[in-house]
Amino acid sequence: MSIKGLRLERWSGQLLAAPRHRSRAPCCIRQQQQYLASSTTRSISASHAVRYSAVPKQDEFVDEDAEDGLELPLEEEHQPKPPTSTAPTKLPTESTKLAALHARLGLPKKLPLQTLARTLIDPSADSNPDFNNAQLSQLGGSIISYHISEWLLVTYPRLPMSVLFAASYAYHGPQTLQLVGREWGVDCAAAPGPEVDPGFLQFERTTQTPMARRSIGLARGDKDYYRRGMSSRVVYDDDFGDTIPKKGESAKILSPEHAYSSFVKALVGSIYLHSGSKPAKAFVKQHILSRHLQINRLFQFKDPERELARLCAREGFEHPVARLLSETGRHSRTPVFLVGIFSGKDKLGEGSGASQPEARTRAAVQTLKAWYLYSPGKDVSLPSDMEGEGKEGEWEPVHIDIGEIIH
Amino acid sequence: MVVQGIKVATTGRNGVGAFILQCKRLEFFYCDWAGSSKGMNTFLRTNLQKFAKANPAIEILVSPRPARHPVIRGHYINGREKAICVKNMKEAQILQKAELLRDANGEKLRRVVKPVKSVNDSVRGIWSPYHKPGGGGMHV
Repeated sequence: MSIKGLRLERWSGQLLAAPRHRSRAPCCIRQQQQYLASSTTRSISASHAVRYSAVPKQDEFVDEDAEDGLELPLEEEHQPKPPTSTAPTKLPTESTKLAALHARLGLPKKLPLQTLARTLIDPSADSNPDFNNAQLSQLGGSIISYHISEWLLVTYPRLPMSVLFAASYAYHGPQTLQLVGREWGVDCAAAPGPEVDPGFLQFERTTQTPMARRSIGLARGDKDYYRRGMSSRVVYDDDFGDTIPKKGESAKILSPEHAYSSFVKALVGSIYLHSGSKPAKAFVKQHILSRHLQINRLFQFKDPERELARLCAREGFEHPVARLLSETGRHSRTPVFLVGIFSGKDKLGEGSGASQPEARTRAAVQTLKAWYLYSPGKDVSLPSDMEGEGKEGEWEPVHIDIGEIIH
Repeated sequence: MVVQGIKVATTGRNGVGAFILQCKRLEFFYCDWAGSSKGMNTFLRTNLQKFAKANPAIEILVSPRPARHPVIRGHYINGREKAICVKNMKEAQILQKAELLRDANGEKLRRVVKPVKSVNDSVRGIWSPYHKPGGGGMHV
C-alpha cells in the first residue's frame, strides 16, 4: 500500500473526535460548545456534564505477559480516573500566545489552533485522553524516533549500539526536547486550571497517583544482572536503552522535562495527522535533526588496544603494532611522544601523549573512532525519502555493517 | 560492552534548519491624556495593525498607563526584557523603535571583540593537547 493512498485527514478526525462516540462532534467544535455552555450558564458543573458525560470504558487490552512480570506501559493510563480539570474559560482561537506560537514555528495552516492547544495539555493536567496530549505524543515520539534513528543508521552505519543509544538520546531525549520546547518560547503555567491561557504548557508538578509511564516498551521482570548485554535493551528498554520503571516505582513528581518533551512529540504527531508525513519529516529535520552534536565525543572506551586487536583479527588485517614516530623532551618535565599504530605497512592512526602508554592509548582510540565513525556522506538518501510514487527505482542500498567488535 | 555511550544533549543553532524569532511579546503602554503620548496614540491607531500583521510571531499587548510616559517593552525567549521610552516621538520614530525591539535577541548589549563564535573545535587545533585554555586537558 502506498503512503500516498492513506487518508490522513480521516485519521486525524477520528483522533480529534472521541474515539468511542462517533456521533459526537470533533474536539475543536466540542470545545466551543463547552465554552458556550459554560459562558451562558455560568456554571462549571454544566460544562462538566457536557465534557464528562461518558466515562471512558476500561480498555480491552489483553496483557498476556502480566504473570511473567512483563507489562505494557500504557495500560494504567486507560483506567477511569475522576476528571481533574474543567473546560478552559478562554478559547484557543482567542489566545494571542497560541497564535504567535503557531506563526513563530511556521506550522502548516492545516494545523488548527485547537489541536495546538491540545498538545500543550499534559495528562497530569487533564486525565481525559480526549483532551490531553498523550495519544499525540505517543504518535509523534515514534515519528521523531523513526526519522532520527534512520538518519543515524544511514549516516554512521558502524556506530556501536551503546553509542547509537547515546546519540538518539542526544537528539531526542527528554533533556533535548525540553531545550527545544523552551527555545520555541513556550512557558509553563504555574498550575493547570481552567483560567490558564491556552498558550501555556499545563502540567501538574506533583501528583498523588503515580504517573503513567511515557515510553512504550516492556518493563523488565528479571534481575538486573541480565542487563549486561546490549541486545536485550532493544527488546526491553526504551528508545535510549534505559530501563522502563515498573508499576510501583514510577515517580510521583513530574519534571518539566517530561512535560516539555511530550509537548514537542505531540506537536510532531499533530503535524503528521493534519498535514501528512512529509511536513512532519521536514519539521523534525528543521527543529531536531539540525541541532549540533559532536558524535565523536560520545565514545567512552574501556580497553581500546584490545578492541583494536580484535577488530584487526576480524577484518583480516595484520596484528596492530604501536611504533614511536617522534618524541621530544624525554628527560624534561613535559615530554611529548607521538605514537602511530601500524597494521603491516599501513598506518591506522596516531596519537600523542606525555608518556608512551598514554600516546599508544590515544592512538588506539583515534583508530577505533576512525573505524566506528565511517560515514558514506551526510547527504545519503534515506529510506523515508523514497515515499511517494515513481521513486522505487532510484533507491540505492545503504551500507549495513556486520556489527560490533566485542559485545 | 567495551565502548560506552556518554549522554549529552544537542545544542540548538537558531537559523540552521529553522529560525525562531527571539522577540516573543511586545507591550505598548500609552496615556490618553499626556502630551508625550501623542505620537504613541497616533501610532496605535494607524500603524500598529499593519505592524502586527507583518509580524504574526509576536504577541502584542496594548495597555493604558495613565499619567506616565509611553513605553514599548519587548519580552524575549531567553527570559530577558527590554523597554524603550518613546515620549514625544513621532509615529515613524516609534515604528523604528518597535522594529529595533523586534529584531533584538534579548541579550545584553556587549562590545563584540571576536566577530566569529563557533561551536566547532578550532581547525588549527590547540597548541598543546594537554593544556586547554579553560583547564581540564584533553579527554580520550
